[in-house]
Amino acid sequence: MDAHGPLSEHGLVRLLDHHGERLEDQTFSPYAAHLSAQDLRSFWHDMSVLRAWDMEAMSLQRQGELGLWVQSYGQEAAQIGSGHALRDPDFVFPSYREHGVAMKRGVDLPSILRVFRGLEHGSWVPSEHGFHLYTLVIGAHALHATGYAMGMDRDGLVASGNPEQDGAVVCYFGDGATSQGDIAESMTFASVNNAPIVFFCQNNQFAISESVTRQSKVPLADRAKGFGMPSVRVDGNDVIASHAVSQWALEHARSGKGPVFIEALTYRMGAHTTSDDPTRYREKASEEYWADRDPISRLTTHLESIGELPDDFREEVAAEGKALGVRTREAVRSWAKPAAREMFDHVYAQPHSTVEAERAWFDRYQNSFADAEVQA
Amino acid sequence: MPVFEQFKMPDAGEGLTEADIVTWRVAVGDTVEINQPLVEIETAKSIVELPCPFDGVVTQLLAVEGDTVEVGVPIIEIDVDPTGEPAPAPDAVPDASSETANQEPANQVLAADATVQSAHHSQSATQASADAPQASAQQQEGESGAVLVGYGVKAGSAQRRPRKEDALDPIGGEGEASDYPVKAKPPVRKLARDLGIDITTITPSGPGGIVTRDDVEQQSKARSAKSLATYPGDDQPWLESGTVSPNGRTTRVPVKSVRKRTAEAMVDSAFTAPHVTEFLTVDVTETMKLVARLKQDKDFADVRVTPLLLVIKALLLAVRRHPEVNASWDDASQEIIYKHYVNLGIAASTPRGLMVPNIKDAHRLPLHALAVALQDLTSEARAGRIQPGSMADGTITITNVGALGIDTGTPILNPGEAAILAFGAIRQQPWVHDGEIQIRWVTMLALSFDHRLVDGELGARLLSDVGRVMNDPSQGLVWA
Amino acid sequence: MSEKVTMTMAGAINAGLRAAMERDPKVLLMGEDIGALGGVFRVTDGLHADFGDSRVVDTPLAESGIVGTAIGLGMRGYRSVVEIQFDGFIFPAFNQITTQLAKMHYRSKGHITLPLVIRVPFAGGIGAIEHHSESPEALFAHTPGLRIFTPATPQDAYDGIQQAIASPDPVMFFEPKARYWDKGEVDTGAVTSRLSERDATADIGRARVAREGTDVTVVAYGPTVRVALQSAELAAQSGTSVEVIDLRSISPLDTAAVVKSAKKTGRVVVAHEAVTTFGVGAEVSARVNEQAFFHLHAPVLRVGGFHTPYPGATSEHEYLPNLDRILDAVDRVMTH
Repeated sequence: MDAHGPLSEHGLVRLLDHHGERLEDQTFSPYAAHLSAQDLRSFWHDMSVLRAWDMEAMSLQRQGELGLWVQSYGQEAAQIGSGHALRDPDFVFPSYREHGVAMKRGVDLPSILRVFRGLEHGSWVPSEHGFHLYTLVIGAHALHATGYAMGMDRDGLVASGNPEQDGAVVCYFGDGATSQGDIAESMTFASVNNAPIVFFCQNNQFAISESVTRQSKVPLADRAKGFGMPSVRVDGNDVIASHAVSQWALEHARSGKGPVFIEALTYRMGAHTTSDDPTRYREKASEEYWADRDPISRLTTHLESIGELPDDFREEVAAEGKALGVRTREAVRSWAKPAAREMFDHVYAQPHSTVEAERAWFDRYQNSFADAEVQA
Repeated sequence: MPVFEQFKMPDAGEGLTEADIVTWRVAVGDTVEINQPLVEIETAKSIVELPCPFDGVVTQLLAVEGDTVEVGVPIIEIDVDPTGEPAPAPDAVPDASSETANQEPANQVLAADATVQSAHHSQSATQASADAPQASAQQQEGESGAVLVGYGVKAGSAQRRPRKEDALDPIGGEGEASDYPVKAKPPVRKLARDLGIDITTITPSGPGGIVTRDDVEQQSKARSAKSLATYPGDDQPWLESGTVSPNGRTTRVPVKSVRKRTAEAMVDSAFTAPHVTEFLTVDVTETMKLVARLKQDKDFADVRVTPLLLVIKALLLAVRRHPEVNASWDDASQEIIYKHYVNLGIAASTPRGLMVPNIKDAHRLPLHALAVALQDLTSEARAGRIQPGSMADGTITITNVGALGIDTGTPILNPGEAAILAFGAIRQQPWVHDGEIQIRWVTMLALSFDHRLVDGELGARLLSDVGRVMNDPSQGLVWA
Repeated sequence: MSEKVTMTMAGAINAGLRAAMERDPKVLLMGEDIGALGGVFRVTDGLHADFGDSRVVDTPLAESGIVGTAIGLGMRGYRSVVEIQFDGFIFPAFNQITTQLAKMHYRSKGHITLPLVIRVPFAGGIGAIEHHSESPEALFAHTPGLRIFTPATPQDAYDGIQQAIASPDPVMFFEPKARYWDKGEVDTGAVTSRLSERDATADIGRARVAREGTDVTVVAYGPTVRVALQSAELAAQSGTSVEVIDLRSISPLDTAAVVKSAKKTGRVVVAHEAVTTFGVGAEVSARVNEQAFFHLHAPVLRVGGFHTPYPGATSEHEYLPNLDRILDAVDRVMTH
């Protein structure tokens, strides 16, 4: 790997290596100093449950219960680590793979599958969780995130003098997204408006089949400099470092110092989605290299080495994961298909004559069949 | 009691329609759990492992390695309650899955599309195909066509969903009572226009108050037949119009416009020019054959070809041989004006009355051009759109009494002209042809002429010439 | 309080923006050069001086960014009125407008409303260079989730901009730049009673009958209403009574108003600057066909831009629907 290219591991912030050893970093160790063994077990729990659930969702797709699934497999540390740094006043704009952050924001994981079962395009209320809906147009949400952050600033939620009240926006996107014009425009607007936003790029190294080396000649975080924004590159498979840099970044933004760019180098262990076939473009060797750097196993090794991963705890977590899987499966199979006429709802906030006329026609049409059920 | 579940081939990749079975990871009799690897399949996009959706015991593999299976077709059967007693037949057990919407036995679902392409048909699949007709009538929305979630998009059921009576939404939005001008389809409007009928005067009988084609045609007939009414002094219906006398026994209608002009012209002509009429009966079989041939001729595909067309041509040929009939008696200057052109008039009954438009310079027109001119003239007449200019300066006229089924007549000259030809109905009659009685097409021609400038002999020669061409159209070639 | 003032259309929009900003502190203006310069057409003239940097924002030169950040602000309840400097430059924002702005309410099942207004000086007839005379409204009308409004008069501009801002739905406000300097009387008090979310939205969905007539209906909107009225005047002199409908709202399209007129006259001509093929005229024609077929004496005719990119200014008056072309269509439907 080219020392200066986008896959470079040179200079990554790392506080836990893949052998399970703790490391020191001059700038960021202070932001992890507060983490107790309990906290680390909490990370381990969240990552393990997330992965178990993600695997269940994968099975459900292969069993025909979902049209599509987008795995977070391999990216647990970046998502759980950063998710743990979020506070109530913060607001998150995810792309569509951040199920771990959704979990930290209180979104009930099974409900995410409603989108992938084709029932609707968004299955939680953003304002109730501080977590926007998934945006499938790559990079488009970064502008929304920036605008939202500008709004938070206008509303006095940034550098208010009361740090408990301050909030910031975290905008997640992948390596491919950094090529989109909207990302550049977001960073333009964020920087000139000093917006309280953390741009969190999970560089999982692939945009479907295209390596990040096709998206950039230089490490992705280097772009931030061009916008006058501080940036950090972190080992995205290290949950402790991911958490630490996120803490730092959020404090920076919440305190009115403006936008920040985090690049978390990780690896997309699964395929892009269930429609993808990585065997066509990925080397087994690279998959094996990154499997060795798995985010959960290094923490397992570390906790075991300090005697902080008791068997009963592991069994509890495994049972919880399994139970979540069962509950998810039952939920998915129980969801009723919405009545077709619901497709006319919510196109507009106020009545629109075309929609009203079409809905009325559709009702009459549906009613014209001999086997029509009487609609309430 | 055993409960059999089937796992249908899923769409693993957003719109795939089939997959190949590569390797079974389980065998009949194996105990399996949810998410355990079941089988490796190959799709158009990739090789994929399918995890088991049930806990239980494998009772049947419904496809073998190497089979291509369509999405939605069952590939394995698993008994999810294996501790129960064995069931009598594998296809008679109701589906006890948690999906409350699923009414019919699992093996009938999507059976209509079962196309397992293998020599090893499973019993269930065959049974399922046989049950397909019943299944389709009960197909719920999930199975009747575009099934999303993991089972891809199939071509929908080949049967229409039955409608209620009066199911159709009327075209034209909500039917509001309209006090706007009449409703009619464009072709009907055109028909009314062509027939010279004001569509707003027609009472509509179509659904929603639309004027129909029938309505227009009825009105057109009624026009020709005249509207009748009954009057108090007489219980028989009479013409409706004008001023009815108090006792109801007479109606006075003022003489106006076309009627007035026609009367004046007839008087002028009949009581100025001494009229003589000569008659000729002609075997026109050859003309009829020529008409039939021309109708098939691609050069005449764009026009109507009728016997009248050939009469016109015959008369024009005859006039060329006897140009003295193409003239006018000018009493004021005591001169006969011979015309060097033929403006051939055709007497036409129009919605407004009798009119005689003429084909200008008909003597110059080849047959096809004559056909076009005749057609234009006819349609203008029907639409009531004859311009005064077309009626001016006629030199000779044909009146087609045959169109009304009449044998012949004694026509009155069009004022300013010296001859008028009446062309009668063409009928099949017994005739002597080649020395034998045969059935031939026969008609009568009658020529009235102004005896001040046309003698009987001239008239006779003219009429005779017309007859000769009609009897033998090749005579036209000789005289051309 | 009702007051009648003579204003240009640009001035009417300016006054409407001012009134809306005074009424609601969450109304923001954003766009390129709208601050100190007052906008390239001076539509926002004087507003920066009175409302300051935080409410009248000169943005970076990035249309997608302007609309996208306005969406984010909208999620925090800000009613952004975004200016796209010229019609031809809306395309970098097309993605944000169609995949995000239009769909957000639907995607969120009503939990997110985005009460944005996107102001777009549009259409031609001003002798401009390439990309400054476009009529892209059909592209947006074809997108469910957006409302499209275009005023033809200063009164409608004054009322319409305020109602668009009051509407909870995203509204694209197409301002006919050729009409910016037209003067008209504006009753400045009339709109204030119709600014509830429901009333405002309902109002910006209606067409108006600009001139009554009985023989032919001419449907137009925006810059074309003026020449439609001129055509009607000339037609009247030769005995043809033309009814002119100013659509005002492209989405929703006031079908009831158009169909009512079509049933009355039986002959319809639609005129717009936008390219005829696949344009608003085609939609009007289809609806008239479906709902007034049996009343029609002639097919619906459309007069609009040809299927070419907008030509050089020297040819634009032949390209655009002018008096002769509209009257040609009127003559043609009148032969039936």
